[in-house]
Formats: sequence, structure tokens, C-alpha cells
Amino acid sequence: MPASVRPISLDVSIMKQKQTRKKITKIFRRQYWFWSLIGVVSLGIAFVPIPSTFSQPVEKTLRVEASTFEFTPAVLSVNRGDLVSIELNSKDVVHGLYLDGYDIQITAQPGQIAILKFVADTRGTFRFRCSVSCGALHPFMIGKLKVGPDLLLMRGVGMVVLAVLTGVWSSRLWSAIT
Amino acid sequence: MVRYNLIQIPVIRTLLTNRWPQLIIRAFALGGFLLAILAGFVGTPVGSRNFAIIIVWIAWWALLIMVAVPLFGRGWCNICPIPMPGEWLQNGSVLRPLENKTGRGLKLRWPNKFRNIWLQNVAFTAIALFSIVILTQPHITGMVLLALILFAVAISFIFERRTFCRYLCPVGGFIGLYSQVSPIEVRVRDTSVCTDHKDKTCFTGNEDGFGCPWGIFPGGMVKNTNCGTCMECLRTCPYDNIAVNLRPPGTDLLQQRGRKLDEAFKAFIMLGSAVVYSVVLIGPWGALKSAAFAVGSFAWWGYAMSFLAFVYVLLPGIFYLAVRYISQNAPGKRKPLRMFTEYAYALVPLGLAAWIAFSLSFVFTNVSYLWPVLSDPFSWGWNLFGAANSSWTPYFSKYIPAVQVVILIVGLFWSITVIQRISGESTLSEHKPWRPWPVIAFSAFVTSGLLWLLVG
Amino acid sequence: MASRRIRVEWIARMIVLVLVLGLSSMAFASRWLNRSRGIDVHARMPESGGWSPDVLNVDVGEPLILRMISDDVVHGFAVGQSSQPPIDVMPGKVAEVSLTFDNPGTYTFYCTRWCGPNHWRMRGTIEVNGALEIPGTTDPPLYLTLGIDLDSPHEVPVDLVRRPSAKRSAALDFDIPEDYLTRDYYLSHSPYEAWRDLRNESSISQFTDGDIWDLVAWLWASNTTSEAISTGEELYAQNCAACHGETGNGNGVFARLVEDDTPADSSSPDFGHEIVAPTDFTDPPQMMGAAPALLHGKILRGGMGTGMPSWGQIFTKDQIWAIVDYLWTFQFQMEVKP
Repeated sequence: MPASVRPISLDVSIMKQKQTRKKITKIFRRQYWFWSLIGVVSLGIAFVPIPSTFSQPVEKTLRVEASTFEFTPAVLSVNRGDLVSIELNSKDVVHGLYLDGYDIQITAQPGQIAILKFVADTRGTFRFRCSVSCGALHPFMIGKLKVGPDLLLMRGVGMVVLAVLTGVWSSRLWSAIT
Repeated sequence: MVRYNLIQIPVIRTLLTNRWPQLIIRAFALGGFLLAILAGFVGTPVGSRNFAIIIVWIAWWALLIMVAVPLFGRGWCNICPIPMPGEWLQNGSVLRPLENKTGRGLKLRWPNKFRNIWLQNVAFTAIALFSIVILTQPHITGMVLLALILFAVAISFIFERRTFCRYLCPVGGFIGLYSQVSPIEVRVRDTSVCTDHKDKTCFTGNEDGFGCPWGIFPGGMVKNTNCGTCMECLRTCPYDNIAVNLRPPGTDLLQQRGRKLDEAFKAFIMLGSAVVYSVVLIGPWGALKSAAFAVGSFAWWGYAMSFLAFVYVLLPGIFYLAVRYISQNAPGKRKPLRMFTEYAYALVPLGLAAWIAFSLSFVFTNVSYLWPVLSDPFSWGWNLFGAANSSWTPYFSKYIPAVQVVILIVGLFWSITVIQRISGESTLSEHKPWRPWPVIAFSAFVTSGLLWLLVG
Repeated sequence: MASRRIRVEWIARMIVLVLVLGLSSMAFASRWLNRSRGIDVHARMPESGGWSPDVLNVDVGEPLILRMISDDVVHGFAVGQSSQPPIDVMPGKVAEVSLTFDNPGTYTFYCTRWCGPNHWRMRGTIEVNGALEIPGTTDPPLYLTLGIDLDSPHEVPVDLVRRPSAKRSAALDFDIPEDYLTRDYYLSHSPYEAWRDLRNESSISQFTDGDIWDLVAWLWASNTTSEAISTGEELYAQNCAACHGETGNGNGVFARLVEDDTPADSSSPDFGHEIVAPTDFTDPPQMMGAAPALLHGKILRGGMGTGMPSWGQIFTKDQIWAIVDYLWTFQFQMEVKP
């Protein structure tokens, strides 16, 4: 549409966009230090290595019973460095156990206990699942193995706090953009 | 108002206005949908090997909640097969409007009393209550899909346009609300052009296209909630006044017009059910799973009542108390219920993040079921792609928890910024950032709870 | 213009029809075309129906093509007393097998993966029809020819301080008399009877009771081979351990389910049957009183009214003897130094 016929509202909105863009750049420059600080702190929370409390690695044998559709016990705890043997005892049909993160698995038939041996060298909380189709709720047959303290959860909660603080303090920036 | 009109790019303009790509994709989706129904009924009863279960609850669901909704808003509604047969019969054609063809159907107007999403809230809750059975039993999935399409076609014969999609579809209820975070919107470029246009063909239709199937007047559209991105208005507007804009995500959440209680409750239904699913499906408590599966038993009633109480009473109740505290201590008298409705929209990013994080718990773990299921959809011994005997392999299990944390934190941060904005709307005096702290605390607690349930 | 539109519309409708109906109808067409190739066999837990169909027919020498698929949990398929290796039948996955029988008769096929407490009931039959019916001679089972009553109690008073060891017996410089070394003697006598007979031999009155038990252990070990024992161990783990326990103590995962009290009222299907716990193979008073032929007979016939299945159709003679040989390792230390 030629400029003379173009409605005035279009011109005004274009001008408004230019003004807004200038304002945003000004605010960004001012708050550059704020955002760099937030960036550094969040990287710190995410990646700073947390030293583990030293505990002598021991051999741990954990007996897990698998039935449809749960593991008993479903929550296992070991310390970092332990030599873990999970004895899977299937109570009714063929079940399996796959451990997230470590990417290892075993299959157990009723009457034959299967043993999964590994060194728990990575800390965290890892879910283990049934790896052999055992019926309707098979995809949700889940338990969890805790190796040492749950660092990811701690970091996550740290990030929650950071997100709250950042969200509150940065409120002024967002009002300019939209 | 930062907007970039994507229609300026010729390739995009052609792709969106040309009817053939849309039709081919829609027909393909309808074929796949019918195949899923068939697989549900005649395929293997083993859920993890059935085409219906894997295609719908793993493949489609993952693409919907992780790609389609966050990026394209109600983009799925554009190609959804459920209303298609009904719409084709209503229009009397599958491609363009034909002369002298007004199609079949009574084309009644949906009654005013139901012109809200309460029915969709109920429909979604019903599916959520029976979800563990639907998700694992192929014939039940088949029945649900069949019921949806038959119902949609029946509604098309009675009511006008896409009444089913707008007021009845359980999926539409939540992707409508969540489409408000999308970075894409369909709006008019200049409202004054619409004022001068007498016929409003975007709404009534002309020889180039049908009137908006969603019953929206694009000239007055300020939010994505009901727009199914079908692009009919793009084809019918004689002034090229429709734009498909790229815009800052979540813009619609800050739009004060059109905030309603039904949508606010939807936000709680979604957030609450994400929490319940994280407990029941992903948690290590087998007794809860069995209770949720044994429909009709005493344990199941306990589960159902707890589910409903948490989602409809506890979660909104605590939120209401938080909001009431804010309203009592804030200058300017605003009714708590009004504030409740407004602040509820801040839960949308958190709810979407919760659903994406929850979905990550099972999507990449189980996506390897897709290969054998595509090779042998009915478990008849086929091997179309050579993968019929491939076994279950979880992908990325080492990295998923960290990704879940990132998504939840992003959702929380986004929600807090929206809380700030909503808080700023109501005060005329200087905005104090910590004033809405109860609602911020609510969001932080829910996020921490989800973190513990999913990665802790 | 309008007619062109209508033409385009019809092309569009055809495309839609092809994409929508084509996919599904192709599926069913191909299934209909392939229906003559093989029989679909569905495996379900016995509580849900077991094998369907559970009776198959084939002619002698003709291949029987089976497409097996499980509808719930992991099952397995094998044909009793045949060289056909067992095949896993996985949920939702088709396993195809082609069987050819050289001799007419009735064959039993069975599930090889524990699929619940009634797993052992999951059996079916294959009727192989042949032109010539050669009357087969079946030997009567050993326990019948020896006159052993499988069901009468055979508890004996034994008081063992230590596990009898065949290896230890080598230190005793003693040649066991010829009568004891025959296969018939071994089959028809329980260890306790052998011990008693040896005890009464005047030539070894100086040996202690424990020494004579070691001799019995050696005698038992000489009637078996290490290959047989390891075969028996494998068979035991796959088929027996679920009820009898991995350690043989009768406390397997399904033991609870077969040791209920005798039902009180006549409406129960188990009324009149005594349901007992699975045998504890580590219990000397029970095991030492059982002759090898008795164990062999129990496995062959099953326990009348108890939960013990009959394996006569499933295991070959050698397999049953291998299991019997393995069972003795719960009582005896059977390794002999070469």
C-alpha cells in the first residue's frame, strides 16, 4: 500500500517498535552485569563438583523381589564405590531389571535368581525398570537406586532458589519487551 | 510489540496457503488414526507391541507435548484427523468450497451455557482417571479413539463448524490453554482494515475458502486459545490482512482480556494431573499403580477420589489461600476470585514444563518400541522395515534427569516472570516485586515436589 | 471454472480415499492372502487359556508351520521328548517354527518359561497322523516292575552328623561286594537300605556309621556321571526350582501356592486332594528313604492330587535320570577324585 493511503495506525506501530527496541538495548546494557552474574551462579550450581564424604567401599548384596508389577523393595541405597550385587528373584513370571544411567540389565526366571554385579562409581539416583514384558503395567514397573547423596536433586533445588530470586529481580526487564 | 510476520517469506506463504500439503497430511493422519483403531482391536493385547499404544501414547504424545504445543500452539488441530470426516461432510468437499454445495448437517449454534471449556475439563479428567488402563490396554485405546471420532462426526451433523474441537475435545481443552505460550500466532495486521470490510469473509467464507471453522473473528482475536491454525482466514481475506507472526513466547499469558475461570481450572487440572502421574506412574509405589489399574475396585475408588480431591480441591484451594493473602495485603480492592483466575495463568508455563518433564520419563525409554511396531503393526509376523525382532533399548537414560531439571527450572522461572507481570497489572502504585510471594512460593514448592518425584 | 474445480475436488477425494482406506485395507488383504501359510498359536498364561489352539494335527513327514505369539508374558515352546530346541515365545512378537515328525503318534508340547504357578499345566498335543500304525512297545515304568509304591511314606530314621561324601570314602580301604555294584541294586534300594545292608556286613564292622554313609555316597556317585549331573542341574533350575527352591529345600517362589490347607467343603475343586508342600530334597529322613526308582517314578507320573506335574511326556528317559542324579547331590557330596 502506498504511504499516502496507509492508515496512520501502521506508522505509529512501526515507530513504537523502533522505540521499544532502543529501550530494550539500553536496559540490556545496564543489566549486563546482572545477567552475567546470574549466568555464572547458575553454572556454578550446576557444575561445581561436590566432594563426597568418604566411606569405605564395601560389598553390598541387595535382594530384590520382582512381582507384577512392583519391585520389593523398590528403593535401594548404596554408597559410592560399593561393589553391588543385586539379586533379582522373580516371584511369578519372567522379569528383568534395567538400571538407568549404568545401562546394565539382567533377566530372572521364577526359581532362578539372577545376579547383577557392578561397581557403583557414579553418584545420583537412578531408576531401574523391568526390562522384560511382563504384562499390562510392565512399562511402569519402576524402582530407584540411590548411590550416595542425590546431587542432581540438590542442584535442582538450588536452581529453584536461583530461579525465584532471578524471576523477582528481573521483573523490570520483561515489562519493556512485550 | 515485537512481531515478525512469517508470511513475508514466500516459501512459507505458499506452504500455508496451498491446500494440497494440508490435505495430504490430514489424510495421512486419518489413515494412521484408523490403522491405530484397527490395531487396538485386532492387534496383540500386549501394550508395548501394539501399534495403537506406541503410535498414540509414545510417538504422537511426545511430538505433541514437546514440539507441537510449545512451538506451534494449536498446530496439531490443523492436521488432527478426528474432526476431518465430519468437516468434509459439513463442507460438502475435501478441498475448496464448491458452488451450490452447502454440505450436510443442521449447523446449529452451540448453546451459550456450554460456550466454555468446562465440558472439556470433565472430558480430560475422565480420561485421566482411567489413563493407566487406556495407556496399557490396546483395545481400550481403540475404543477411546473410535468413540472420539464417531462422536466428533455426530456432532458435525448437528452443530456448526468445529464445535467438537472447540467445546468438547479433551485434547483441545489443554492445548488451547497451553497454546498461549507459543511463539507463533495468527492475527490481523491492521484492525482498521477489518472495520471497513463489510463482508468479513474471514468469518463467513467465500469462494476461496471456508469461514473460520473455529467460529473466531480474526479481527478481534487477541489470544491463541481457540485458533486451530487451519489457515482458512489466510486464504479468504481479500486484503492480505492476516499475518502469521513470530512473537515472544508466552505473550498471550499477559493478555488481560479473556481470562476465565474455566481456563484457570484447566491450569490446575493439568498441573495436578502431572503431579499425580509422576507419583503413580513414575514412582516406585506398586500399590498405587495396581490401585489405579483395578478399575471399579475399592482401591481404585480410593485412587480416584484422591486424584479428584488433589486436582480440584487441594491444589486450587491452596492457591486460592495464597491469592487471598495477596489480595488482603495489597492496595486496591480486587476480589480474590478474580485474582485467582488471573494468577492461574502464571501456572501455564510450569504446567507445560511439568508435562514435558514427566513425558521425558517414559518417552525416550520406550521409543525403541516404535521400530518393531512399525515393522509389524498387528503382530502378524510381518517385517516391513526389518526391525520386527529388535528389542527394547532405552535411549539417553544417563542424560534424561538433567534435562528434566533444566525444563522444570525454565518453566518455574517463566511462571515467576508471568506472576510478576500479573501482579504489576493490578497495582496502580509502584510495583513491589515480592508482593506476590505466596504464589511464587506455591510454584517453587510444586516445582521442588516434581523434581523430587522425577529425579530424586 | 466450476467444472475444473469439481474435477480437482474428485482428484482430492481419490487421494484421500487411497491414503485413508488404502493403508488399512492393504493390511487385511495381505493377511487374507497369507492365511494358508502356517497356524497361529497364541500363548497365554494358563489362567487365561494357555495355548490356543492346544491340539494340532499334521501328517507324518509333512512340515507343521507354527506362528507363535504370546498375548501376555514371556512363554516358551518345546516338544516333549524331541530334539527340537526350545523357542522363546515373546509378548507381541511372532516366533515361527517348522516341525516335521517322522513317526506318527501323540506328542506333547509345553511351555518352557515359568509364567505363573500353573505354568506346568500349560501343555498341548500334536497328533501326527501316519499311514502305518506301527504298534509300539512301551516298557512299563520302572517303579511298577520293581513293585515300588510311590505314594506310601518312606521316612527313615537317620541321624547324620555330616554330609556323606564320596571323596572321603576313598580313604577307607574297602572293596564293596559285587552285589551292591549292580544297576538293579542301585535302582531298587534306598540309601538307607544300602546303608543298613552294608552295616550288617561283617567285614566292615569296624567302620563308623558315618564312614558307611560315605560308602553309600560313593556307591551312588558311581551310578552317575558328571555330565548327567550338570544336565540335571540345568533341568532342575529351569523346571523344578520354581517350586522346590533353588537350594532344594522345598521353598520355591510358588511353594506357598501349593501348600494350602486341605479344603473343607466339597464345592472346592481340590476337595479330597491333599495339597502338600513341595518336597524338601535337603531333608535326610525323606530322601534317604527313597530309592532312585521311586524318584524316577515320581517325576514320570507326577504326584497324584498334589501340585507335582507328570513329566513322562515331556522329558526323555535320560533327562529324568539326569534330574534324579542331580537330586542326590542335595544329600551326598558326589565328586570322586579321578
